[in-house]
This record gives sequence, C-alpha cells and structure tokens, in this order.
Amino acid sequence: MKQRAMWSAVLVVGLALAGCGSATGKDSSPGGSKGKLVVWDWKSGEPSAKAYLEKAKADFAKKHPDVTVEFVAQPFDQYYTLLGAAIQSGKGPDVILFNGGGQIRDRVDALVPLDEYVAEDKQRLAGWDAFTKESKIYASPVTLQGHPIYYNKALYAKAGLDPDSPATTWSKFLADCGAIAKAGAKCFALGNKEGAGIQFWLSGLGSGILTAQEYDNWIAGKRDWTSPNVKRVFQLWKEAGDAGLNNEGANSTAMFNDSFALFQSAKAAHVIGLMSDVGHWKDFSEFLTPEKLGVMDAPVVTPGTTPSLAYDGGIGYGVAKWTKDPKVSADLVRALTSTDALKSFYADAGAIASDTTIDVSQGGPAVTTLVSEIKGGKPALHVALSSKTLDLMGRLSQQLLGGSITVDEAVKQLAASDQAG
Amino acid sequence: MPIGNVHPSVRPAQAGRTDGAAGSAPHRGVGRPRRARGLRSERLAPYILVAPAILIIVVMRLYPLLLGVNFSFTGDGDRNGMAVGLDNYLELFRAPLFRTALGNVGLLVLLLPVAVAIPGLLATFIYLRVPGHRVYRGVYFFPAVLSPVIVGGIFNLLLAFDGPLNAALGSVGIGAVDWLGDPDIAMFMVVGVHVWATFGMSLVVFLAGFATLDSALLDAARVDGASLPKVIWHVIIPGLSRTIQFVFVTTMIGMLTSMFGLLYVMTSGGPEGSTYLPEYYIWIQQGQMNRPALASAASTVLFVIMIVVGLLQIKLLKRAAREA
Repeated sequence: MKQRAMWSAVLVVGLALAGCGSATGKDSSPGGSKGKLVVWDWKSGEPSAKAYLEKAKADFAKKHPDVTVEFVAQPFDQYYTLLGAAIQSGKGPDVILFNGGGQIRDRVDALVPLDEYVAEDKQRLAGWDAFTKESKIYASPVTLQGHPIYYNKALYAKAGLDPDSPATTWSKFLADCGAIAKAGAKCFALGNKEGAGIQFWLSGLGSGILTAQEYDNWIAGKRDWTSPNVKRVFQLWKEAGDAGLNNEGANSTAMFNDSFALFQSAKAAHVIGLMSDVGHWKDFSEFLTPEKLGVMDAPVVTPGTTPSLAYDGGIGYGVAKWTKDPKVSADLVRALTSTDALKSFYADAGAIASDTTIDVSQGGPAVTTLVSEIKGGKPALHVALSSKTLDLMGRLSQQLLGGSITVDEAVKQLAASDQAG
Repeated sequence: MPIGNVHPSVRPAQAGRTDGAAGSAPHRGVGRPRRARGLRSERLAPYILVAPAILIIVVMRLYPLLLGVNFSFTGDGDRNGMAVGLDNYLELFRAPLFRTALGNVGLLVLLLPVAVAIPGLLATFIYLRVPGHRVYRGVYFFPAVLSPVIVGGIFNLLLAFDGPLNAALGSVGIGAVDWLGDPDIAMFMVVGVHVWATFGMSLVVFLAGFATLDSALLDAARVDGASLPKVIWHVIIPGLSRTIQFVFVTTMIGMLTSMFGLLYVMTSGGPEGSTYLPEYYIWIQQGQMNRPALASAASTVLFVIMIVVGLLQIKLLKRAAREA
C-alpha cells in the first residue's frame, strides 16, 4: 500500500511538474489534401442554402477549376466543440464558418489574417468589425446579424395605438405596454432559458440608454461599469420583469423558438429578434404577414441619445492556419461572399446579407426599414463581451428576474468578469 | 487500488495450449539450449497472449487519462502549453458554478435511496401480483427504451409554464409553478425525470432478484400472519440484499454519468446555473468557452470523485455482504 501511494505521488508530481503537453495543439500540420478544400459549416445541409452554395462553387470553379470543394455540415449544437477538437489536433477544414464576435476572436490563433486577400471586398461588404481582432481581419462576413425590435402592428391597432408610429421614448413605450396589456397581450416575448434574452435586451435597447460616447467606448473595450446608464440597462431589465411586461416563465422559456412563437402567435406585442438565420422577419412571415410586422427604434431612455440599429457581421468564413495554400482558400471565401451568391442567400434564407448593394424592396416594409438603418447602425453591445462574461450575464439575468440578486451586485460581478477577461 | 489490478488471474503455462509446438521440442534430445528456449517461450506466451488487451487498455484508456491530467496542469489561450501548476484547480474551486455542480453531485448521492426505493417497491408489488401486474411490468419498462432527448422534450412540454401540468394545477385552484425556471425546484425536476426514465432497468433487475427469492419463506411468513410491511422488511429486503447492492451501484453510476442529455435538453444548466453537473460544466468549458485545460482539470476532479465514490461503495457493499 505504501509503495502504491508513493508511486501515485510520484506520478502526480511528475505530471504537475512536467506540464509539458498542451490542451490545444501548438503545431499545425497540413489539412485537406492538395486539389481539395474542405469547408465546415452548419448551413450547407439546409435547402435554403443550396442555391447560394451552388453559385459560390461555380464562381470559385472559374478561378480554380482543378480544386474540388467539399462542404461538411456539422450540427450547430456541437459545432464549436467539434471545431475545438479539430483545432486541438491541428488538423481539419481549410475554410471555416464562424459566428462573429467572441466565437471567432477566441480562436484567431488557428486562423490566417485575410487582410491582403479581401482588400477589394472591404467597401462592398458590411460587418467586418465582428471578424476583426487587433485590427486584423480573420473572416469575410456573409450575413449581418442584428437585434431590431419587431412589433405586431395588428396588436397595436387592437390596443388602440397607431401602428405606424411606435413609441420613441421609454415613458411612452411603457404607456403603450399598458394599453397592450389591456388588449390581452404581453409587452415582450422573452425567452431567457439559455440566458440569451439579456444579450438581446442589452443590444436592442442599449442605443437608447447609453450616450454616444459611452456606446463607442464600450465597443472600443473601455467599458465603464460604474456609469449610471450601464446600470440602468440592468435596472430596466429587472423592472420590466417585475412589472409583468414579459411573458410568464421567461427563465424557462427557450428563446429559440418558444419566445418567437409567442410573438408570432400574437401573445406578445414586441420581441427583440434577429436579422438573419432565425427569429427574423422572414421567419415571422408565416403568421405575421409583411403588413402586420413593424420594426421600431429603441425607445429613448436617456435624453439626448440617438437610437441606432445594433448589428454586426453575423456569420463569416475564415481560413485555417493549416491550409496548404491560403491564397486558394481565401479565393473560396471571396466566392462565398460574392454579390451573386449572397443575393440568393438573401432571397432563399431571408438573411440580411453583408452585401448592402442587394435590392430588398420586395421583402416588405420591415426589411426595407432594416436595410435602411444599416448605414447608421453600430456594433451590438453584447458582441463586444467575452463568452465568459456573456455566460455570467445570462445567469445573472435569470437571478435578476428571479429576484435573488440586486442590480448593483450583478453589475459588480459583470465588471469583475469583464475586467479580468 | 483494485482498479489498478490488470494482471490476469489465470495460471500462465500448461493451460490451454493447442499447437504443441514449443512444448514438444525437447524430445529430440538436442539438450539444454533447446529446452531453455522452450521454457522461455513458455514463460513469454502468457504475456504475449495478454499483450493486445493490455495494449488496448494502455493506449486507449490510460494514456489519454494521463494526458488529460497532464493538460490540466497547463494553461489556456495565451498560456497554451505552459506549465501553470495548480492554477486551473484553484480557478475551479473558486468558480461558484463548479461548486454548484459539485453540490449537485452531493444532492444526487442523497437522492440515491429514493431512486433505488422506487423500482424496489414497484417490483415488490408486481411480485406480489397486484391486479394488473403484467400490464404494469410493461408500462414501467417502457420509458427505459426512450432516449434522454425525447424524454427531455416530452417533459419540457409537460412542465412548461403554460403547459398541461400547470393547467391541471390551475383547474383545481393551485397557482402555476415555474417547474424548470425556479432554481430551487429545477434540479429536483430533472432528477425526477431521470429516475422516471431509467427506473425500468432497475425494476427488471429487482424482478430477476425476486425470481431467486425462496417462496417458502414468504408463505411461511404469511401463514404466521405477518403484515405486508413486515414481510417486506423481514423477508424481502434481507433476501434481496445482493440485488439491492447491485442496483445501488448501477443507479449511482447512471446518475453521475448519464444525465447530460436531460440537462442539455431540459434546463441547459439553468436557471441561474442551478442544474449544473460536472460533466455539463466540462462540456461548456471545452466547447463554448474554449478552455480545454480548465475542462481537463474539471474532468480530473470528476474522475477522482468517481473513484472515491466507487471505492466507498465497494467497501460498504463488502461490509454489508460480510454481515449478511
């Protein structure tokens, strides 16, 4: 027994001192074979992406007829876990689809900076910031993702409100919510089971709460958590919950797609939704026809603020460090973001494409409003936070709704997490 | 440590030789060297025969295990590949979320007797032939064939705030409860659903145990006028002690290792992180937070917990077996 204990001790100490391995692969070895590029995404299996991919492939084949491209659709739930494993082994796809923000910034060690390859696209496409770290571009945006406030015009009419002029100030908004409650609907459809509701809240309403200076500083990484306006974001979140503006059981309601279903079925008048992928104007159109769906600016909470649409690059393609020829892979990325290809992605999937030259006038008033606001839009506030802070914010937001934490304490914890990261 | 014992307990030489090649060599009278070689190959044979099994264990089990422990002493992100000593472990034990996860493991251990008693009691009723016992036997086993994802989906619907359970409560005048959104309730709901979904297996094991029970004893107890609780306490439980031990161990393992699917579907670790278990924490750190080294440290902690719990159980069971 004694000897066994000693051997275990030696083993543990040895491993501890050694510390010589690494949990993420350090060396990169070449990935896909020559003449073949492998692309990982979670989109290519969907019928709505078919035309988009075919156009992109055709475009790429014109430049590199001898290179075949294989799209591997991974399940989105597992995507970053699988990708993590691939990065760890230093082998994997040549071209990788990413969500903008934290998901790509945490993994830039495995990617090639694309600045020199995509210089020509910089003007045509919007949403680069979400794929940029330390002023280097790591992916080209395909769609824009943002957090507009959608509202149900039919419910507005039912509540005796003017569907074409939604509230522009918070006090008027609360009054409208009162009228909507009398008409038998909730003000907000909120799904906070995954803790994502607060992210949408922060980005959807933030431009009416933070001053322009605070907003820009926040995005630039100089976040002042002691500012009363930052605190107000979370204060309003709690107040909205306490005042019963949200659907009941928000902490156990999944955002995707239970909260959107509540909005679609006219049980709630507003939802802070998305612009692309899911939970957006085209998704809603099954039940809310274009003339019933409106998009409104964030109500002004802090006098003097100018509300703007919060959006970023939604998804984009990056090139892995271990690819054989980064130039060829970058050409594929460029083909995947060509105007033609993106046009079909917009038309079939309803995504707001990064290419702002696409004509969207057929999509109805909501989408026209959205696209017109892209010019004056700003990056979404929550995208600037690390995934660790976002995870914490999700849990704190549930505690705020449940009443087991104060706003001050929540903001304090967020500040600590943000400054540590 | 019993689990470290990989030496085969079979006797090496003589047994099981079929070709006779090595053993039949000496009769040609070549003398000592030949005999020595024969003996040597005889001595090596068992090692060669067990080598594949040992290699598989070493390469597929032990090496990754040690590698994982090794990773847990390195850093993440910028410190990738650097030795960081116990930093990951310190971070883990400072993280409220991981402490919640460990606390939930403790809760599972406390709820274990309930999870064993339910199939035990139901199996007793079936054994005692309550009316309709054949139907119950099938019905009870049915959830065991469903995947956790489907079970989770079903209960998500049932337990939703505007779901049928709350509607039923409302119709008798009881206020709605946010079953999966209240941090004080959610963990119990998930464990309850897990027990519901898995007790069928234990039930079958119990029924198999009953088959070995001496029915003469039961009849004797009945003739002597023992009541049902007395029969259960004095005849059935002692007679089934082995089965009960087995169900205890397998239920514990099931609870510690296979609740991920349910957690993932039903609560995603929430609300407020109240339903985290170590395996869910590991998955989040590795997959969502891009912290493989921290996840390795959490895995190592979970591994140690499993060893300790396993050894304790073996010890308890051995003692119980001696007393029985």
